[in-house]
Amino acid sequence: MGITFTLLSLIVLIPLASLVVFTSKMSFSEIWNVITRPRVLVSFRVSLLTALIASLINAVMGVILAWVLVRYKFPGKRILDGMIELPFALPTAVAGIALTSLYSDSGWIGSIFAKFGIKIAYTRVGITIALIFIGIPFVVRAVQPVLEKIDPLYEEAAGILGASRARTFRKVILPELYPAIFTGFGLAFGRCLGEYGSVVFIAGNQPYETEITPLIIMSELQEYDYSSATAIALVMLLAAFIILFIVNLIQIRNTKILKGGN
Amino acid sequence: MAAEKTERVMPREGSTEIHADTKGSKAVRIILITLSVLFLFIMLVMPLITVIYESFRKGFGEYLKAVTDDETVGALLLTLEATVIAVIINTVFGLFAAWAISKFRFRGKKFLVTLIDLPVTVSPIIAGLIFVLTFGRQSFLYSYLEEIDFMIVYAVPGIILATVFVTFPFISREILPVLEAQGTDEEEAAALMGARSFTIFRKITLPHIKWALIYGIVLCAARAMGEFGAVSVLSGHLRGKTVTLPLQVEILFGDNKYMPAFAVSSILMIMAVVILIVRSIVEFIGRRKGEE
Amino acid sequence: MYIELKNINKSYGSFKASDNVGFGIEKGKLVALLGPSGSGKTTILRMIAGLERPDSGEIIIDGKVVNNVPASERGIGFVFQSYALFRYMTVYDNIAFGLTVRKQNKKEIKERVTELIELIGLKGFEKRYPSQLSGGQRQRVAFARALAPNPQVLLLDEPFAAIDAKVRSELRKWLRDMIHQLGVTGIFVTHDQDEAIEVSDEIIVTNHGRIEQTGTPADIYINPTTAFTSSFFGTTSELTDYKLFNSFDDVGEYDKAIIRPEFVRVTKKNENQKYEKSAVEGVVTDLQFRGNSYELTVNCNNSRFSARRGLDEPAVEIGEKVDVFIFRLFITQGNTVRLLKNNAIREETVII
Repeated sequence: MGITFTLLSLIVLIPLASLVVFTSKMSFSEIWNVITRPRVLVSFRVSLLTALIASLINAVMGVILAWVLVRYKFPGKRILDGMIELPFALPTAVAGIALTSLYSDSGWIGSIFAKFGIKIAYTRVGITIALIFIGIPFVVRAVQPVLEKIDPLYEEAAGILGASRARTFRKVILPELYPAIFTGFGLAFGRCLGEYGSVVFIAGNQPYETEITPLIIMSELQEYDYSSATAIALVMLLAAFIILFIVNLIQIRNTKILKGGN
Repeated sequence: MAAEKTERVMPREGSTEIHADTKGSKAVRIILITLSVLFLFIMLVMPLITVIYESFRKGFGEYLKAVTDDETVGALLLTLEATVIAVIINTVFGLFAAWAISKFRFRGKKFLVTLIDLPVTVSPIIAGLIFVLTFGRQSFLYSYLEEIDFMIVYAVPGIILATVFVTFPFISREILPVLEAQGTDEEEAAALMGARSFTIFRKITLPHIKWALIYGIVLCAARAMGEFGAVSVLSGHLRGKTVTLPLQVEILFGDNKYMPAFAVSSILMIMAVVILIVRSIVEFIGRRKGEE
Repeated sequence: MYIELKNINKSYGSFKASDNVGFGIEKGKLVALLGPSGSGKTTILRMIAGLERPDSGEIIIDGKVVNNVPASERGIGFVFQSYALFRYMTVYDNIAFGLTVRKQNKKEIKERVTELIELIGLKGFEKRYPSQLSGGQRQRVAFARALAPNPQVLLLDEPFAAIDAKVRSELRKWLRDMIHQLGVTGIFVTHDQDEAIEVSDEIIVTNHGRIEQTGTPADIYINPTTAFTSSFFGTTSELTDYKLFNSFDDVGEYDKAIIRPEFVRVTKKNENQKYEKSAVEGVVTDLQFRGNSYELTVNCNNSRFSARRGLDEPAVEIGEKVDVFIFRLFITQGNTVRLLKNNAIREETVII
């Protein structure tokens, strides 16, 4: 127990505490001024929007992928299943440059879109794609186990009562999956907000256009402007905290419905 | 809630096969499978192919040159150093923490688990930031460190610390569920028969968590080797000195040295593929054990 | 016959779940499919429902061959063993499900659901979720849900398996009354013979994928026509050599001689025994109080079997020597069974 605690404090708690200490040194107006700078505000928007869209796409694809992996048999399924964790295993920098190369105007995918005058790399679209990449495993892996355990009886019951497959999916299966989907979405969203390595190459990092919040923090640090960096970091932490909180709330509500109790 | 099924219908192929008229239409099946395969191919496979293609674009000779370059080797060594240290520290911590959490009752357990998980939920940039605040110019530790000429920020120790931080919970997270599921029965039985703590740990606990532990170590190593954001903040980017493999990739790419950048990336990519394979094996074994 | 099965066969790989099954069920009857685990009764139920397809044979409901008719169009309601209530829907929504699917208008749905909720006695529970209900309540909701679309046939898969013993008899009676009141044809699967006897109008006995016997509970109990049926019901014991008991006909080769407690009369040595001359001596080896009678285990003529004595009869002790008289027994030969009456009784009636 003791060792646990010592290590925990040294490595996690004390550094985190320094954040608190440092923040308390700054006045509220100082913080407010930093985070309301136009460039900073835009970066919030860029980060939030791209994270949101990417996570929503992952939520939808995650359910589809989970469904396909659990319910269907086809050649190569095992390989596909094993690949899902790639975004977790691959270093972000590698993913970053690979994606940049792929979607740049001369890249394999980028060149196809360039013909129609659509740029992907160095735009917000590029950022979103990179965020989709890193978020793939979250919803899939959250939904898969739940889907595997759903009793086929529910679907049979609905079928006998006359429900079409679509309705059965919507009204019977999907509600069972919602908690997992929300959890996966929340985790993906949180990860997307804080992601640096995969995004920083493909973004192009143009202020007011494709600058994400982690990058701004990085630049402030490189200029030794610790106060600004900390202030912005605080906002990020707050956002992450809120997301975790909401995800937890949803978990609790669903446990209530499932476990009941009078 | 559900009853014991006294008579479940006989052997069916595939446990999730749905019956007669509750099966979906073939068209939906084909569309969904195609969509999934396409999605995964574009999002996951193509980047991998890109790395390989770009690495070997100029031929095998150039590839070898890039991979054995002095700077690259230096970065590799630093990466390995940080990884090994992180794995050791986090394994020790992981074992102790998971043990303590699963075997003892105390209030605030959930809080403790959340704390331990914290490094994973925090953005890597912020992870780097907090170490800069703790050991950097602004902190009160700085002058002390300057005196003993032990630099943390913008030096190797900082990199190692950051690596340990971001991979902190990986091992405890993997073995904790196994320990909790296992319960305390076996250990209690052994204790009643007079076995000492360490023996109990060695002979009873360890075998149970063997595979989870291995997987946790693999994950930890993978993340340690690939960590970019946090290390980037603390690095100082001194080529050959405070540059890890991922940072080296960034430098090369920034210099427009694309082939070398991808060549170095391929090293990291191989590691990633190894991890995926190990994970599949571990899961396969775990599944077979569950069926025994 | 309202429901008919003709020459039904179904295999799962090399396992034959249904072997040339055929029977008929009259409209409005409540029938039990009774048999041990793995005997094929659930398979039959699911084939009638349309959840499984027979390999060969016909399933006929109301004169129509329904083999290729999907489950939802057969006019049946199904109650699963574990109820399969939709966990994320309220009681109201669960019951209304079959109706909303058929796109009935809201007012009609509300009327029907309310009617059913009253019928099952759960008024006030509309907004509850399944997890907030007891086992018995969930089961009633499952009934209501199956009944909502007004099916002509109600199928139930081991409906009482998950219920506490106390609530069980209540629910059994409730089910029986409900089904008769509604006039639907009901078929339920069970492995509990007491349940089948108590609840059903007719029993279909299954074993190894085949139908052993069909008939009313009394019929099957008193007049088993197959070896399996005779040994499946009641508390049976085997006699090692029935001919040692006075006095039964010799039937030549046979498999088993089976008796039930009610076939045996045990009397104390000093008690009046009608068939004293034919009685044989035995020893009481065990005595158990059964609430409404005593169950004795008797060793006699190298056989051990059970017998009963009433509470108002003089007490018997373990180790006591008693007179044993067997009225009748079943002899199984291959798959057939015969009833043998003790000749002593026959003689008596002749005399009179």
